[in-house]
Amino acid sequence: MTALALLFLIAGLGLISWLTTRVRAVGFRRANNARFSSLPSHHATYVALWTVLPAALFIAIWTSTSPALVTDAVLRAPAAAQLPADRFERASILSEARNLAAGRSFGAFHPLSRTLAPAYAAAQKRYDWIGSVAALLLAFATGALAFMRVRPAFRARTQVERVVMALLLSASLIAILTTLGIVASLLFESARFFSMVPIGDFLFGTHWSPQVISASDPGASLGAVPLFWGTFFIGAVIAMIVAIPFGLMSAIYLTQYAAPRVRAWMKPILEMLAGVPTVVYGYFAALTVAPAVRDLAVWLGISWASSESALAAGLVMGVMIIPFVSSMADDSIAAVPASMRDGSLAMGATPSETIRRVLLPAALPGVVGGVLLAVSRAIGETMIVVMAASGVATLTLNPFASATTVTKQIVDLLTGEAEFDSPKTLAAFALGLTLFVVTLLLNVIALTVVKRYREAYE
Amino acid sequence: MNKAQIHRIPTDWRGAAMQRRIRGRYAAERRFRLLGLAAVVLSAGFLVFLLSTMLANGLGGFTRTEIRLPVDFPRAGLTLDPARLAGPGADLALAGAGIEGATDGAATAAFGKDGDKLISDGAWLAVRAAVKADPALLRRRATIAVPAADAIDIAAKGHGSPAAEATVARLKAAGVLTTGFNLSFLSEADSTDPTMVGIWGALKGSIFTMIVTLLLAFPIGVLSALYLEEYAPRNRWTDLIEVSINNLAAVPSIIFGLLGLAVFLNTFHLPRSASIVGGLTLALMTMPVIVIAGRNAIKAVPPSIRDAALAVGASPVQVVFHHVLPLALPGILTGTIIGMARALGETAPLLMIGMRAFIASPPERLTDPATVLPVQIFLWSDQVNRGFVEKTSTAIIVLLVFLLAMNGVAIYLRNRFETRW
Repeated sequence: MTALALLFLIAGLGLISWLTTRVRAVGFRRANNARFSSLPSHHATYVALWTVLPAALFIAIWTSTSPALVTDAVLRAPAAAQLPADRFERASILSEARNLAAGRSFGAFHPLSRTLAPAYAAAQKRYDWIGSVAALLLAFATGALAFMRVRPAFRARTQVERVVMALLLSASLIAILTTLGIVASLLFESARFFSMVPIGDFLFGTHWSPQVISASDPGASLGAVPLFWGTFFIGAVIAMIVAIPFGLMSAIYLTQYAAPRVRAWMKPILEMLAGVPTVVYGYFAALTVAPAVRDLAVWLGISWASSESALAAGLVMGVMIIPFVSSMADDSIAAVPASMRDGSLAMGATPSETIRRVLLPAALPGVVGGVLLAVSRAIGETMIVVMAASGVATLTLNPFASATTVTKQIVDLLTGEAEFDSPKTLAAFALGLTLFVVTLLLNVIALTVVKRYREAYE
Repeated sequence: MNKAQIHRIPTDWRGAAMQRRIRGRYAAERRFRLLGLAAVVLSAGFLVFLLSTMLANGLGGFTRTEIRLPVDFPRAGLTLDPARLAGPGADLALAGAGIEGATDGAATAAFGKDGDKLISDGAWLAVRAAVKADPALLRRRATIAVPAADAIDIAAKGHGSPAAEATVARLKAAGVLTTGFNLSFLSEADSTDPTMVGIWGALKGSIFTMIVTLLLAFPIGVLSALYLEEYAPRNRWTDLIEVSINNLAAVPSIIFGLLGLAVFLNTFHLPRSASIVGGLTLALMTMPVIVIAGRNAIKAVPPSIRDAALAVGASPVQVVFHHVLPLALPGILTGTIIGMARALGETAPLLMIGMRAFIASPPERLTDPATVLPVQIFLWSDQVNRGFVEKTSTAIIVLLVFLLAMNGVAIYLRNRFETRW
């Protein structure tokens, strides 16, 4: 019996138990016109849960343990006596036989696996049957026991609601599990990386060329400072030079000057900039902006300008961040008490003087927090730099020169064909860990700043 | 202090100096206002420029240049019995018939020595389809519209090399060049020949991935939002859950790709570049978005609803599932659709789990190697061939249409169902 058919059978049993219990519970109500704590559907769900859940749990345990039982059974077969003693060879023959028995492959490298395959198939079939019958019996038994407990005074609702609460709690634990998974996988792989490459070489080395890693001193070509600089230069300098003035001025215009109709139309249009997928921005940067930037550089007299300049990637990234800065600035300006603004206007200041001398200084912490969040967003951005920035790591202040970023290097390192245990691929996890820590810090700082500032006006 | 000695001279607002000062302040006011307007207009201008560039580059991808190719079937040397085409063995008979060679031969016969260079490598597929649709063709000469070669297609759309442009002019004069709707772009998968590529493979991969994402992220997201907002006691554990959800929402997407690579591929050994792994990875990324949107929607349900339900004897679970959840659902759905739209446009995490392979046939199962729309765009953008520039932009148009539709549905839901108390 296949696993799917078994699950359907058990689900069917659950449905039958639900229906019969419901009929019985409705009967209670007719027979005895009293008030009960539970509705018929509560009784029904209680029995159905008892029918399905233990069996499902059993199937989960069985599928994870039965392969070992099957292998044990095969090893007891007479043909298994010829198996070689070497552990790896043994395992490879067994896995070949398993594939043959399951019909997943038709050729075998080792002749012994052919003789073992029938034993495998037989054992597999036997244990499958044992598992299926046991699961069905369990479902039936637990369901019947639960059915016997159903009585008019039985508080089925409490039981069912306890299960619902457990479900809710476990759903919210997934978030913690994900965070733990991220931290654990990054830490684990990075630890392996740092066992090959000294942490100082990685964090403070200024030479990055993962294409040629010498076996004796891998740290010499895995110094990440040029990447950190490139990331900072593109994401925190060039992109912010675009995003801060545009975002801030848009927010000011839309909240302070624009007519409500204009605001109602322009705000969603600006927010569309944030909804465009980053791969589209990347393509736009590579196809349209990068050649234009290089032409500009040539026109300015810089003949060696790179067609994968930091400027092209940074400019487009800045455009992408505009709505982000704008909505953060919008929120913090709106949080300034109206009395401050009214007071300034009443003293005869023009609106622009009020904005520059009163609203912006008052909203500054919020704006700074928003900019920090935008920076964390920009340095984690991947596709724009993958498509428009260069792979060559250089320490440069020239926006027309090529620069690379942490995210671009992670993609380059992991999409190669290198084996997984090399320092080259593990370096990607170390870079990922650095990125994770930095964005986390930026977010925590930004949120603290914003929160403090909100509290100041409440 | 002698107050009497202070002489206050009233400001002479009509004086020339004051008038000049006021004019200056008003001019500064106008300049500031204009600056703000310029920022808004320029930002919107970026968007318009971006979209119009994509439209200008990509709309041509929906049409293709076709050459009306005369094929003399009786003399083409096909080893094909027309009678077999009626039966169930038609595909097998067609496969061994030598149509590819016959098509090239027909092109050489019609357009001279290099005639087979004018038609696409996949032109014989059009001939095969025509024969399959009407086996009677085999007994006579017929003219079949086949896709033109990449260079001809580009030249006909006005971007080709001078030599190709000259050929196009010659073919146009002969009256064999037509333009048709590029149906195969919507029905085929990736290919090495830009005239033969299609978006359907990637679209199907995207649909599979999104289904997995939705099935996982929506229930988990809604349930944890309900727990955190309605039941969770204030203690260290729930604080930890809250902090991790808020942080997950801000983690760069590529980190989720690294997680997927380390956990789903290297620990659980799930198949590489399968849509189920992509869906799992994106679900982890989308779930916090749904939780945050869900909590805001649940928070917006007034406490009086809960009090009323409790007062008539509902249990806490009944209050939430019978009253709070249905009322919060439009808001939750809006947030879900926005999160799904973000997941649909996501590329970086999927590159990490190997969804960047060349996949020439649409996936059939969740475990088949697949690619998704944004990754397909990324892969095509790497190609140097001019034909792929157009196809990349066309694929971007398709992606943007989907995103626009999803956001449109979200806005409609918000306006139609969201109640303001």
